[in-house]
Amino acid sequence: MYIHQYSCISPQQTFDNIDLVSLHESVDNKLTAREPVYKDIPRNILRRMGKAVRMGIGAAMPVFLKQPVLNGIIIGTANGGMEDCIKFLNQVIDYDEGLLTPGNFVQSTPNAIAAQMGLMHKNKGYNITHVHRGLAFENALLDALMITRENAGGFFLLGGVEEISTYNFNIDLLDGCFKQETISNKALYSANTPGTIAGEGAAMFLVSGSPRDAVAVMKGVQTLHSTNEPEIKSIVQQFIENHLPPGERVDLLITGENGDSRILKYYHSVESLFDTHTTIARFKHLCGDYATASSIALWLACSRLPLPPHMIKRRGRQTNCRNIAIYNNFRGSQHSVMLVGLL
Amino acid sequence: MGIEAKKFDLKILLMEKEQLKQQLKQQIVQFLNLTDVQPENIKDDEPLFGEGLGLDSIDSIELIVLLSREYGITIEDPKEGRKILVDINTMANYILAHQTQ
Repeated sequence: MYIHQYSCISPQQTFDNIDLVSLHESVDNKLTAREPVYKDIPRNILRRMGKAVRMGIGAAMPVFLKQPVLNGIIIGTANGGMEDCIKFLNQVIDYDEGLLTPGNFVQSTPNAIAAQMGLMHKNKGYNITHVHRGLAFENALLDALMITRENAGGFFLLGGVEEISTYNFNIDLLDGCFKQETISNKALYSANTPGTIAGEGAAMFLVSGSPRDAVAVMKGVQTLHSTNEPEIKSIVQQFIENHLPPGERVDLLITGENGDSRILKYYHSVESLFDTHTTIARFKHLCGDYATASSIALWLACSRLPLPPHMIKRRGRQTNCRNIAIYNNFRGSQHSVMLVGLL
Repeated sequence: MGIEAKKFDLKILLMEKEQLKQQLKQQIVQFLNLTDVQPENIKDDEPLFGEGLGLDSIDSIELIVLLSREYGITIEDPKEGRKILVDINTMANYILAHQTQ
């Protein structure tokens, strides 16, 4: 599968006037997205959108403008517009199951993002949303890999979206997912305590089975549910061996290390597979941790931006970056590895 | 009731209506999330739908719910709704005539 266009809204300056060097700081352990003005979304539609829908469509607009004819829309989101969902459920209680407004309900289902994109783009093609928690984006990616193989000439929009909702943040905080102490994202990797910081964002990609005008090729993706460290290491190793062209090496490894001391072992284990040739970079201090954060890592891989020092964990000997591996881990049990080739 | 007392009642009614209109404007902006509209900039006779505020059919449902929740007014006949949801004046007049809460 080939990637032709990529776009991203995140807590950093990634949508327009891209700047990864200046790091925007987290507030109360949350990295909230820097949303653009959304000038291409009609005001009457925009005012009804929840944040997840807004970010998703906002990030998809450059793809829509580049590729007016799309064969389908494939989105990964674990929670969709959870904030609007809670607003709607609160109304059910507040108004004693009486008269309810449809807006919050319509906008709150996870598939509202892809559905709204379909409506705006007048796209009647394949429209699907994958909601597999920390592997939602990877499952959307697998779907895209299969459908672009079936329709080599077709173009598809692939994306991952998540928003921070107060409800989910509080539940996850009680569950120990986020740090008890307030830290800055600038100190995420040195905290050495359980939990991480919350984040949100949307990354969109125009993909097809054709290499023409492509910027990158997705060589493969593998997902795994496990807490067994040797098993994870072995599967990642096997995946790299199976997908890397003969004689080539992984030049850059982007990991989803998130400052959670409990799951650091998995990252150390995967990093140990790569020798000093490979540069190791981290990205969760840019966007926080959320179920579809690996989509931001894929955007980083495609964008070919020079990695600022705050992203580098270990500078490798490589001089030409061709093959990029992305390893991410959601809450210690959902693992994914992707291999991207830059063209 | 003397002429002075009647004048006084009328004054209260006019004040109530004016306050109600201001309240309605604020509620419409809030309920419909009209982020680029200031309540004070909505004219009393500005059409709510089409030209003017440019609301649409989904907004009409939101306005019906607003009338129910905030003023205890239930609109069951869609034809009746079309006459009420014309502008701020028609909404305020209907509320004053039918308010139950």
